[in-house]
Amino acid sequence: MEKRTEPALSPLLLAMRGIVKTFGRSTAVDGIDLDVPERAFLTLLGPSGCGKTTVLRMIAGFETPDAGDMRLDNTPLADVPPERRPVNTVFQSYALFPHLTVNDNVAFSLKLRGGVVDIAARVRRALDAVHMADFGDRYPHQLSGGQQQRVAVARSIIAEPRLLLLDEPLSALDRKMRGHLQIELKALQRRLGIAFVYVTHDQEEAFALSDIVVVMNKGRIAQKADPQTIYSRPADSFVADFIGNSTLVEGRIRERHGDRATIATALGDVTAPAADGLAAGDAAMLVIRPELLSTRGEGVATFTGSVGNSVFQGERSMIEAEVAGVSLRFAAEAPLAAGTPVALWLDADRSFITRIAA
Amino acid sequence: MTFRQRHLALPVAAAIVAGCLAPLAVLVAFSFYEVEDFELVPAFSFRAWGELAFSSTDWFLIGKAVLSGVATTVFTAILGYPVALALTRLAASGKGLAVIVLLTPLYTGEIVRIYAWRIVLGGEGLVNTLLQGVGLIDEPLKFLLFSPFTIALVLTYNNLPFMVLAIWVSAEMVDRRLIEAARDLGARPIDAFFRVIFPLTTPGLAAGSLTVFALSAGEMLTPSLLGGTSGSTAMALVDNLFGTAFDWPLASALALALLATLFLVASAMAGLLLRLKGARAVVGRV
Repeated sequence: MEKRTEPALSPLLLAMRGIVKTFGRSTAVDGIDLDVPERAFLTLLGPSGCGKTTVLRMIAGFETPDAGDMRLDNTPLADVPPERRPVNTVFQSYALFPHLTVNDNVAFSLKLRGGVVDIAARVRRALDAVHMADFGDRYPHQLSGGQQQRVAVARSIIAEPRLLLLDEPLSALDRKMRGHLQIELKALQRRLGIAFVYVTHDQEEAFALSDIVVVMNKGRIAQKADPQTIYSRPADSFVADFIGNSTLVEGRIRERHGDRATIATALGDVTAPAADGLAAGDAAMLVIRPELLSTRGEGVATFTGSVGNSVFQGERSMIEAEVAGVSLRFAAEAPLAAGTPVALWLDADRSFITRIAA
Repeated sequence: MTFRQRHLALPVAAAIVAGCLAPLAVLVAFSFYEVEDFELVPAFSFRAWGELAFSSTDWFLIGKAVLSGVATTVFTAILGYPVALALTRLAASGKGLAVIVLLTPLYTGEIVRIYAWRIVLGGEGLVNTLLQGVGLIDEPLKFLLFSPFTIALVLTYNNLPFMVLAIWVSAEMVDRRLIEAARDLGARPIDAFFRVIFPLTTPGLAAGSLTVFALSAGEMLTPSLLGGTSGSTAMALVDNLFGTAFDWPLASALALALLATLFLVASAMAGLLLRLKGARAVVGRV
């Protein structure tokens, strides 16, 4: 076996190369490369049908790739059935065994191994880790959704997997419970030092939890980066559109100078940081995040228009300004009356010019 | 179920109870009658019950009915599980076709099937000819027809569809993600079966077992026509006592004894299966 030469801080745990998976005529995963470093919290983010769950199921061993190579700890996974992969899954529906108590659910993998002597103690520790130690004798139907989710996590970490897969584990819970469990999951991941691969369609959840976010679109990886980079420098218009409330304005690159470019749009010319490879003459997309527009500023306003829709969202309001046929979304403290004239200053240095997604 | 919905079930329930209890009451009454000069005379005589109590033949035949029912139940369960589980993996269109295929033998009628078996299993039948043809045997296999083997084979064959259907319905309700979860947690397919699928399908197994047991324990035609010398049954004896022998009191007593025994065994079977954890998780909350 070849000696690995990855940097000591983040040795490679899982490597996927050129993975393809089709179901009948539809291609769910269209040739992706994905590396998961040790101890990483990596999130697959994308709309439903983008292939993220299929990727997860292939790592778990429930689906077999049509093409490509997948290695865990540099060992090929192709012929390893799910039960022999050092990988465990937290299912979207929790998939707790209804005929077994919480204790028996959590002990399931240890009992199958045989020869594990301290099962009771390890079950206790796993349940302690998710604050469910007092519920060992209950049956799944006697638990709330949040409690079931915790048991599902305890069940999946007790065998100390190399990699934990989580398939939208919080999607069935209410907002408040989701927030709680996000914090707990993140803390648990740090404490256990296990790599997590997390699937979600919720970008806030992805940003809150992840070291690495992988945005998927139509079976391909649109961007793989840390959350800040995904947010401030989306690799293409799909990522920009999927993340947050940005306004996307189509245009054409007029000039390129270093990291920056000038784009001609319906709003006029704007000079901003631009994605690598965009050159004069290319069609491109100007991405304006809501917080980059302000109704106060120095000198001449960047845009002037009138207020269209206002949506009250509690601590702030999301307002659409109609400027030259474009609806520019920006945040304000309170809703504004429709038709009010409005002047907006753009923090162009923090906006971004990106590619148009295929 | 609401109060009103319960009431909707009342007429049918009443009809079922009346249709079951009335003949039973008649049987009970007859079992105490006497027969004088080929005439049934109302009386309160224990003659028939006394005769039954000391008849080793009668009890042997009742025991045989129980054994036949239990064995058929076990055979159909063992054969039925793989079939039922395979059915759950078919596409919806395939399932429709599978049900038709599964039930087709039932449409042919028992007598037709029995004579077909004679053709298949006889000394010069399909199986023996084939085995001799390929040189596996020199003499026809005698045990194929008119033997306990024949009875077991045909009863299993006849009853398999009921067992498959019952287990299948139960297996369809088992969330596939539970099986994936089991595999994910280290269960080989066989572990997943015994630890997840089997416990969660025991209600179907119980329903199938009760059906198959009732149908096969009371079966008369198949043993009579295919069992040869081993084909005697309690049912055939009841038939004979009511008919040729004209001993309705004894026939009634034997029928009641058989019924009571089968009922006890069936209840025990159902109780055992439904006491399993999996059944309680599915049928009634634990």
